[in-house]
Amino acid sequence: MNLTWSWQKANVAASLWCIAVGVAMMALWLAEPAGLAARAPWLFGMKFNAALAFVVVGAALALSARGVRTLPAVLMVPVFVYGALALSQHLFGIDAGIDTLLDTPFVDIGTSLPGRIAPNTALCFMLVSAALALRALRQKNDILQVALGFATFITAAAALIGYAIALDFAHDWIRFTRMSFQSASCFVAIGIALIFVGTEAISYHRLTLAGVLGLVTYLILLTMAYYELSRYEAAFGITFSSTGPDARSTLSSLVLISGTLYGALIIHLYFSSRRARDMAADLAESRGRLGAIIDNAVDGIITIDDRGFILSANPACTRIFGYAPAEMAGRNVKMLMPEPYHSAHDGYLGNYNRSGEAKIIGIGREVEGRRKDGSVFPLDLAVAKVELNGATIYSGIVRDISERKANERALIEANAELEEFAYRTSHDLRSPIASSMGLLTISREMLSEGDLPALGQTLQRMELNFRRLDHLIQNIITITRTRLMEEDDRPIDLRALVSEAIDALSHLDDTKRIRIENHVPAELTIVSKPSKFHVIVGNMLSNAVKYHDPKEAEPAIDVRAFRYAGKMRLSVEDNGLGVPPASRHLLFKMFKRLHPNRSFGSGLGLYILRKSAEALGGAALYEARDKGSRFIIELPDGDHHEDQLDPGRR
Amino acid sequence: MKINSILVVDDDENDQFICEYTIRKFDPSILILKAFDGSEALDILHRETPNAIILDINMPVMNGFEFLDRYAQEFEVHAPVVAMLTSSHLGKDRERAMQYSFVKSYFEKPLQADHLRVMADLLRG
Repeated sequence: MNLTWSWQKANVAASLWCIAVGVAMMALWLAEPAGLAARAPWLFGMKFNAALAFVVVGAALALSARGVRTLPAVLMVPVFVYGALALSQHLFGIDAGIDTLLDTPFVDIGTSLPGRIAPNTALCFMLVSAALALRALRQKNDILQVALGFATFITAAAALIGYAIALDFAHDWIRFTRMSFQSASCFVAIGIALIFVGTEAISYHRLTLAGVLGLVTYLILLTMAYYELSRYEAAFGITFSSTGPDARSTLSSLVLISGTLYGALIIHLYFSSRRARDMAADLAESRGRLGAIIDNAVDGIITIDDRGFILSANPACTRIFGYAPAEMAGRNVKMLMPEPYHSAHDGYLGNYNRSGEAKIIGIGREVEGRRKDGSVFPLDLAVAKVELNGATIYSGIVRDISERKANERALIEANAELEEFAYRTSHDLRSPIASSMGLLTISREMLSEGDLPALGQTLQRMELNFRRLDHLIQNIITITRTRLMEEDDRPIDLRALVSEAIDALSHLDDTKRIRIENHVPAELTIVSKPSKFHVIVGNMLSNAVKYHDPKEAEPAIDVRAFRYAGKMRLSVEDNGLGVPPASRHLLFKMFKRLHPNRSFGSGLGLYILRKSAEALGGAALYEARDKGSRFIIELPDGDHHEDQLDPGRR
Repeated sequence: MKINSILVVDDDENDQFICEYTIRKFDPSILILKAFDGSEALDILHRETPNAIILDINMPVMNGFEFLDRYAQEFEVHAPVVAMLTSSHLGKDRERAMQYSFVKSYFEKPLQADHLRVMADLLRG
């Protein structure tokens, strides 16, 4: 992250600063420029040992920032020892011999003894070395390191500010032994690095830390100023104010009031920053949750502006319409609509914006959508108007209802068919019965009149009626079976099946004078459902026989089968009566008899043919011939694939 | 006025036979015209106008309703009594048939002497 990176840079800068200052000071001490020391004594406030210690600390800081663990910790041990010894010299008035260990100073500036560092400098070295050793070993920041960094920073910052405002006590804890401004600057840099680098890991708010840091430094400075003031008062026996409250109590009140104000400010800052952080987290979470809901919604969710341009579309839209989100964003929503909506949509929106008259907004209805591939499909659309900070957007929820509509249509069709079936069966089942009842009445009269030849004929008519009824019932049973029967696919020997079906017709009188030829190749097989296939072939053949032309000199029926464009085609052609052009649209419909005076048919034959073919995934077709008919059923051919037989055909 | 001629429109041979027998029994002097579907009936009606028509509904080529439409449109003079004769008594079919001004009765098969008596009464006014 950028921020972390910039703090890492602060770390590197602090280490570089320490090393640079340390090396420069060491060089100065070794060069012993007496002239420079006379002209600019302030330059020599930092002692040689301290300079060396800063170089070591700077190196350790850089190393630990690069992830080295042991070496920085080891380096910090002598620094800590040096700091501890230097401090104890001041505390116990001893001489540990460390002041001039490596270099004997050619000049004494800002110190009580040659080469001795100030107690605050010594303390800072202890703090810094301890903190850096901890950081190197743990490789992360914690409260202890931050506290150590705090103490270092406050001490050094007070000294530095002391130089700026000439408050001697800030850097001179013991008279004439002061923390040099070089040291102070280095400690400030290290303190900042210690406090801020890595604080995000323990989730401290940096601004708050900085505020607390400023507050404490400020309070310490005030305290020191107070102390300094009282020292001067004691030393010179004067009071700075003769009337009213004395300067010290004024200062104390100032310290108290400003400190309280500052403190309150910091606390407020801390809490408000924490609240802001919590709110940001809540917001991010709720936004994330909302986003997840929209992204995972089954329905498409689109938002558009008041001119119809798409602002957003969720992944479901991609699934429904086929466009990638980037292809939809910024384009007019009419891209998802077929004509006439496509052209009219701008008008709808304009109309609504002007008149407020809603056709779809806030209502929802079934419309049509257009996919990327151009296909048009039914969809449910619900649009809501959303007012956002003065701008109006519309959110639409779309659901592809192709499947539902297809089911609905199929259901309506099936229902209509069922109704038609009920209507026709009620008529056609009763028809032979009503006729027979009439014939029965007539028979009784003929019997009483003793007209036996006429009676015989009438009974024959009754027999015909019952045959018709039986035939109709058989057909109804076939239809029911075709609908309900579950059957597995099996390989069917077509030629054998056709021969069988021809044999089954041989009992009909008409069959004897019709030439029926089976041209199906012997090796041809199809994988299909045998019983349904049987119904189909039997039906086609009996139809051809039933509607042969009695006047035809050589009535003939030819059965052929071949593979064509990945499909199996079985055709039965005859030179019979054919189908009058006016009636062809009724072919394959339920209860349609097309030939007058040939009422033997139930009107269900071709309907059964079509239904059976459809049950096998195929279709029944009719082709007129010059004389007669050709009925074809076309079935999917599992054995062969389209491209094998007719490459390039789709 | 008594019935002189009746046109029977029915595709079923047996029903034609029953109608013919029943009409003969009712009044042997009535002339019986036969048509096996609506278009045959129209051909006959172009030539002559019988006193009554007995009309089936379910027929191939041109069914009873199609016939009624054509008969209403193409003819100015209609047979005084047109009676529907059908094998099932469905309210929907009856309503539809009775919308034609010239359809006077709606009978269920088989045709009986009583039906002819009703037709004769209708003709007499």
